[in-house]
Amino acid sequence: MGKMETSKKRVDDSRLSRKNEDMPRLSPEEKDALVHRYHPDYKDEAYAEIRIGANKGERTVHEVARLLEGESPFFEKSVPLSPTHQVDVLIVGGGGAGATAALAAKAAGASVLMSTKLRLGDSNTVMAEGGMQVAVAPEDSPVRHFVDSLKGGQMANDRTLLRTLVEEGPSVAKWLIDIGVLFDREGDGNLSLRAGGGSSLPRLLRCKDYTGLELMRVLKDCVLNEEINVLEFSPVLELLTDGEGTCTGAILKNLDTGKLIVVQAKTVILATGGIGRLHIQGFPTSNHYGATGDALSMSYRAGAVLTLQDTFQYHPTGSVFPEAMAGLLVTEAIRSAGAHLLNIHGERFVYELETRDAVASAVIRECQEGRGVETPAGRKGVWLDMPLVDLMNGEGTLKNRFPNMVRQFSRYEINIQKEPVLIYPTLHYQNGGVKINVDCESSIKNLFVAGEASGGIHGRNRLMGNSLLDIVVYGKRSGNAASRRAEEAAHGKLTLDHLKIFHEARKAAGVMSETISPLLFPDYVNKN
Amino acid sequence: MWHLGHTLLGKVGCLGGVCGACTVMARPSDQALPKTALACQTMVSEGMEISFLPSDASKKALALLPEAAPSRDTLFQYYPETRRCVACQACSSICPQEIDVMAGVRDVLMGDLPAVAERFDSCVMCGLCAAVCESTVRPHRVGLYARRLHGAFYPQTPSHLLDRIDEISAGRYQAEWSDLMEASSSDKGNV
Ligand SMILES: Cc1cc2nc3c(=O)[nH]c(=O)nc-3n(C[C@H](O)[C@H](O)[C@H](O)COP(=O)(O)OP(=O)(O)OC[C@H]3O[C@@H](n4cnc5c(N)ncnc54)[C@H](O)[C@@H]3O)c2cc1C
Ligand code: SF4
Ligand code: SF4
Ligand code: FES
Repeated sequence: MGKMETSKKRVDDSRLSRKNEDMPRLSPEEKDALVHRYHPDYKDEAYAEIRIGANKGERTVHEVARLLEGESPFFEKSVPLSPTHQVDVLIVGGGGAGATAALAAKAAGASVLMSTKLRLGDSNTVMAEGGMQVAVAPEDSPVRHFVDSLKGGQMANDRTLLRTLVEEGPSVAKWLIDIGVLFDREGDGNLSLRAGGGSSLPRLLRCKDYTGLELMRVLKDCVLNEEINVLEFSPVLELLTDGEGTCTGAILKNLDTGKLIVVQAKTVILATGGIGRLHIQGFPTSNHYGATGDALSMSYRAGAVLTLQDTFQYHPTGSVFPEAMAGLLVTEAIRSAGAHLLNIHGERFVYELETRDAVASAVIRECQEGRGVETPAGRKGVWLDMPLVDLMNGEGTLKNRFPNMVRQFSRYEINIQKEPVLIYPTLHYQNGGVKINVDCESSIKNLFVAGEASGGIHGRNRLMGNSLLDIVVYGKRSGNAASRRAEEAAHGKLTLDHLKIFHEARKAAGVMSETISPLLFPDYVNKN
Repeated sequence: MWHLGHTLLGKVGCLGGVCGACTVMARPSDQALPKTALACQTMVSEGMEISFLPSDASKKALALLPEAAPSRDTLFQYYPETRRCVACQACSSICPQEIDVMAGVRDVLMGDLPAVAERFDSCVMCGLCAAVCESTVRPHRVGLYARRLHGAFYPQTPSHLLDRIDEISAGRYQAEWSDLMEASSSDKGNV
């Protein structure tokens, strides 16, 4: 028997005796020490100082700094800026935030155009499994939801943004139900609620483990019903401004034909999602193919202020074996349902429902200190013992509540109802992003940002289920605010003047890199 | 694939088996016929034949949700061709999510919304079922419409949710908020 098999047998053998075992929670001091010592956010070598722009002097990881300081694809190129489209609101991104924003803007009477890099709906949203947090239970309250999120966010959350998030949660949940999102229900018709890490009460609405898929399917259906014009495979490559700090449109590129599309818009909403495909610090990722942080570099060049650019979420349980599944997420809801984490000796080493930063740090500690299990491809991981879920909640629980997870592993001949799997933290979420106000407006006039691309709501660590809520609450708010603004604003001049200013700043700071941003697709893709 | 130099821009989405962008026919070298699959969920073996299939090109009816509770005819109003199903099984055999699509279509014909909803809950909207249907049925589209109807007109009300919305609009939490916002405005706030 190989090392991996021996260790796995230990896990199998101890399962029954572990079933009712208690695991002590970390004290705030212990948690702090653990996170500071092992969390990737605290690894100094991984960080650089941002040399130019609105956040000059702050730090971020090398992968992001490189893009923020990157040059525009259009710098010193002559691009004819006569508009091919003229609209009230241009929405960039076809995930949950973009789709919700488009629906809200359209309903408010604006003319809307959507640009998306892949197809409408191919996004991080469609992948969400665990659920969406809303304070629904009678013993719960928005205030309690706020406090949990603030603690989870290490108190760095923007209080106003967070309060709006939790207060508007129940009404957007109602809106989702009204457009036909089929959340799991209890026998009496109430929404079925599950526990999530870092939450003091069960607060997760879900559709089995297809919550994001369900949300995205329905939102996409609504966008098509509204006959909103969507330009697929046509990402935005650069923003346009009037040269005086107001956003007036964007340049898109049709990936099929290579042709540029110039859109003149009274307002622009960036909803381009996260950064997983930058593979920060070499981590695998749970994110979709287009998650390359495009909003960050484009808005930064135009002068936008970012916030919390030094903190990322590494989801504790990304699959590491088989190799083809590396990075793929195993939802936190599995741990909420009772799955244990075990090291090579078959010992538990952390209370499984600590916040994500703490659990991820504990997994990294085990692996760094020689208590991890090595996969044939040379990755390290620890065991996630899922059969316990059935043992604790009854035979068939995994199959009924996590059908997607069962299917995904079964395609590689792993039966999660019978055997543990190996996991390691995977790059999951951008905690920070473009700084916004409660109407999603950035520091650039008429440029709005919604969803994962924005920052502040979640502080330094997002709680499970708060992002799906974020994209609907702030997707709506951005759509409403952008269309209100469009009513009073006129179309502005289209220029690329901000690129010159940015270039001068680069020169002055001695930035020599030849990086062009946004990245659009991961580095390993052959883009020719 | 990328490491072999493929571009694959159009046939990739989530890379997690849920967006339906990456449908392929894959035939292991020891098999006579290929099977449909999601490429991102397929373990490549030596000598495997892989050919990418087109994305869903079926038309979606502009099916808005009705004002009043739906009847079976609500479904047929937008997807009348569903009645033409000849129970040939083609859709069920091609579904990469292993949904019994034909049974779902039968549930539609019976007007059993909860059953349809359950049947299609893992549908990734890849559209292969519609592409192979000789009778021009669009199972995934009528399936999604049925799910939305079931969700929007769920037989029971989520009363806790409705109560909470009322409480919030009645200002029930105002006092707690004022205390809290004050206490938490400094980073050391004791919450
Ligand atoms: C595997 C996984 C599981 C998750 N589970 C949960 C969960 O259970 N609960 C929860 O609350 N959150 C969860 N999250 C997080 C949550 O799903 C995302 O943070 C959220 O959906 C982001 O939505 P978004 O609309 O901001 O971005 P996305 O949904 O990622 O959409 C971004 C869109 O913009 C497009 N785009 C990107 N760049 C450009 C460009 N330059 N031009 C045009 N278009 C562009 C993309 O292609 C995509 O369509 C999960 C995330 C992942 C990856
Ligand atoms: S392929 Fe068409 S006709 Fe055949 S079973 Fe499916 S829906 Fe019916
Ligand atoms: S039901 Fe149709 S659209 Fe849905 S996954 Fe199966 S084949 Fe694809
Ligand atoms: S890329 Fe989304 S299902 Fe394969």
